[in-house]
Amino acid sequence: MSKFQRLDFYRSQTGRYHLLPFRFERVGDGEVVVTNSAGEFAYLTPGKLKALVSHTLPVTDPDYTLLRSRHFIREEDDAASLELLALKVRTRLSRLRDFTNLHLFVVTLRCDHSCHYCQVSRKTEDKAAFDMTPETASKALDFVFRSPNNAVKIEFQGGEPLLNFPLIRHIVLDAESRNLDFKKNLQFVISTTLSLATDTILEFCRDHNIHLSSSLDGPEDLHNKNRPRPGRDSHARFVEGLSRARDMVGYDSVSALMTTSPASIGRVRDIIDEYLRLGFGSIFLRHLSPYGFALKTKSFHEYNAETWLDFYREGMDYIIALNESGTRFVEHYSALVLTKMLTSNDPGFIDLMNPSGAGIAAIVFNYDGDVYASDESRMLHEMGDSSFRLGNIHKNTYEEVFTSDALLSTLEDSFTLSIPMCADCAFEPWCGADPVYHHARYGDILGRKPESEFCKRMMGTIKYLLNAMKDAQTREIFDRWVNKC
Amino acid sequence: MAGSLVLELDSHIYRLEAVQKAAYRFIDRLTVLISERDGGPIVCEIEPIAGGTTLFDILLADFKRELLDQQLRSKIKAETEPVRNLILAYAFSRSGLQQ
Amino acid sequence: MLTLSGAVLATNASKGDTKRQLFSLSTNPNLPSPIKSQKAFLVSSGNEVSDGFRHYIVFNVKPERLPNEAPYTIVGDEFRYFGDKDVVAIGNGRIRCLYRASSSHNSILLTEQCNNYCLMCSQPPKRVSDPWLLEEALELIRLIPRETQSLGITGGEPTLLGDGLIELLRLTRNWLPHTSVHLLSNGRAFADAQFAKKYAAVSHHDLMLGIPVYSCDPTRHDYVVQARGAFDETIRGILNLKQLNQRVEIRVVIHKQTYQGLLDLAEFIARNLLFVDHVALMGLETTGFTRANMDALWIDPAEYKGELGKTVRKLRNYGIRASVYNHPLCLVNSDAEQCYVKSISDWKNEYAPECTMCSRRNECGGFFLSGIQYGYSKHITPFP
Repeated sequence: MSKFQRLDFYRSQTGRYHLLPFRFERVGDGEVVVTNSAGEFAYLTPGKLKALVSHTLPVTDPDYTLLRSRHFIREEDDAASLELLALKVRTRLSRLRDFTNLHLFVVTLRCDHSCHYCQVSRKTEDKAAFDMTPETASKALDFVFRSPNNAVKIEFQGGEPLLNFPLIRHIVLDAESRNLDFKKNLQFVISTTLSLATDTILEFCRDHNIHLSSSLDGPEDLHNKNRPRPGRDSHARFVEGLSRARDMVGYDSVSALMTTSPASIGRVRDIIDEYLRLGFGSIFLRHLSPYGFALKTKSFHEYNAETWLDFYREGMDYIIALNESGTRFVEHYSALVLTKMLTSNDPGFIDLMNPSGAGIAAIVFNYDGDVYASDESRMLHEMGDSSFRLGNIHKNTYEEVFTSDALLSTLEDSFTLSIPMCADCAFEPWCGADPVYHHARYGDILGRKPESEFCKRMMGTIKYLLNAMKDAQTREIFDRWVNKC
Repeated sequence: MAGSLVLELDSHIYRLEAVQKAAYRFIDRLTVLISERDGGPIVCEIEPIAGGTTLFDILLADFKRELLDQQLRSKIKAETEPVRNLILAYAFSRSGLQQ
Repeated sequence: MLTLSGAVLATNASKGDTKRQLFSLSTNPNLPSPIKSQKAFLVSSGNEVSDGFRHYIVFNVKPERLPNEAPYTIVGDEFRYFGDKDVVAIGNGRIRCLYRASSSHNSILLTEQCNNYCLMCSQPPKRVSDPWLLEEALELIRLIPRETQSLGITGGEPTLLGDGLIELLRLTRNWLPHTSVHLLSNGRAFADAQFAKKYAAVSHHDLMLGIPVYSCDPTRHDYVVQARGAFDETIRGILNLKQLNQRVEIRVVIHKQTYQGLLDLAEFIARNLLFVDHVALMGLETTGFTRANMDALWIDPAEYKGELGKTVRKLRNYGIRASVYNHPLCLVNSDAEQCYVKSISDWKNEYAPECTMCSRRNECGGFFLSGIQYGYSKHITPFP
């Protein structure tokens, strides 16, 4: 045919290409994962990787096409790939621009539970010295409304925040009336066990669109073991509270969080079944944090990253099988990592943010007016380590708090691109810095990565997910998770 | 001493930074002392960490492979450094496309 | 299939007056005379004929009831479909239908020139300059009924007109403020940020730009459109347009050179162009260049059912609006059916003999006439 050219005519005639920034990691025998700065990835054989870097990969190689369209290489005239890469990098970092969104109010340290892994010191119900005062709350709201972010979320934490419900009511009403001028997208969340949720409280939540973030650790025996309270009725109270909250506030206004205690190990299916039984469409297979009593009581050391990974993998196998057989069920921890792997968005989950989300995505107002960079930071403080305390709202101005050394140096030092090993890690685009964790565990912000449990857990999770999504059906399930379809 | 080894690496082929990074990755399994003489080879004195379970020979093979990987990484990084900066400059300078 | 243009049988226009004229047709003899004087009257068997119209269009023979001296054109039965408010062009012994009020598939051809040379082009480009098409279009816009819901603008490559296209869009905005406009372009011109800005500055109320992207592999896209560097310009064009908040639809024609890369393309869009407004996945029309490239292009849609289904699911999972166009319904898997659109322009669509017994024929877009003529899938299966 005369006037039409063949495909080869449109290939590069010189065979020359430029590398775009990428990293690689061996994931198995004869397999290398390459990732670019936008979190896109591809598999290569070690031989192909070597050819790629030596600029000898032929233009006719199918991997050449793949790598060019996924922005690992570009030809001299490919201007669009640079623009697209820049755009994706920008999108991923755009959350930083929004600054503080989540504001945690520790309205009391008192609690009716005495969980041995609790992340803050337990106090008995009658010590009013550990309640936040209206004056402190009012000053904290001054800070909240100075956030440049148009979306503002206020989360009430404890202790058991419902033990100081009058203050919650006061803060919600105050915030709502201030917001008549500010017109921000204002949301409220209460982190509660639901054990003390009276009808009056739930009616208030209904009338003010307050979301309830609750806790469910698994079947009754496990839950009650993890969450002791007088009467050993934590689970029963939760189930009863959940049902009433769904009736009164709304089905989707109540969610549950799970903590993996040493007693949970080996029981992941039971836990998931309990979530299913109680009508939840998702679970968060959370590992135990090394804070509060978890570290003090050494229960943190009762299982390591490898044990948790076994737990996680077994749970995920089960959840994937559930989805394949038609029951939609999401595992949130995976969904967060997968969002980084499969989309150009950043889910903005604080533990997985880079630079660290501490302080710029969340800020904590403790009952006494102390300001922390994250919930974990104030737990560390309760244990006597005040490294991440940013100031106190009664003593410091907004500017002083947000430019404090504790915040700025944490941000700077935790930028994973400047950390040894992380800087070269192919999984870095899907991971995050967790400076507070590393400080708590290893005494420095970075942590020595080869020894870091955080690193091991992330590596294990990512390798599991990479492998799982080689199956096309699983990949489709993941696609739906990350896009909330 | 049983299970220790000296590795001499041609400094024309291996960059010191790559050797250091490989050693860092093995910090929980191997002790690697690195020295470099002017114009001479890079010398690694390698010892297994006490109490390790993996055979020293296997660790050593892994370490050598890691050396090559680090060498590759260093090459990629050097070559893509300018374009990485260009992309970041683009990313922070352009407006629009925000939802 | 309708005949959109053809020779007129006779006219009483004076020999020297061969200039092309556009007419808005009317079948209403009772129009007030100021309006009559701007319109051509369509004389059909039933209706009475009143005088005062600017022109008369009659079928086969001049009827006696035609007013004396009235300018008229005689046309054949193939134009019996003409109706009230249609717009036609008459000149040089030919008549062409430019707008049909009863159709929702009207489109205006702006130029036959193009800087791509697509393997499957249904409207093969011509080299000759054709500025008269733009002039005609500018006139046409003013004659189209104001209540028109949608209008297509096509080529060739309309952006080759540069400021001419901008002028036309502005006119469309001003004269047809209730009409949604769909413009087809290869998008390359918008790689020029200045041109993209001019386009955006029209600030049209309802304008969608349909831009083809055939593969995420630049080489393959360039091959399909037979233009080196086209992919790069097209993608940069889309970026510039979206930066200016313009609506963009990505159009993919599925054939032997593109079906294997369909899912990769969907992933590329999800990863890089998530902000586009719509993705159209279209069957091949066996007309124009396609017929010369049948060996390179033709694949029975039954063979890519699986790819099409997966692609639709991928796009939907990422929240991207997608549609499947130009496919017989029986060749689309149930997962792609939710995006199925009965799309083939009403003047082009036909059904195969196999379709006679089909129970879902009225949901199906059927075939292009060319498909019936030059070969279609061997897997047409009527729904029971």
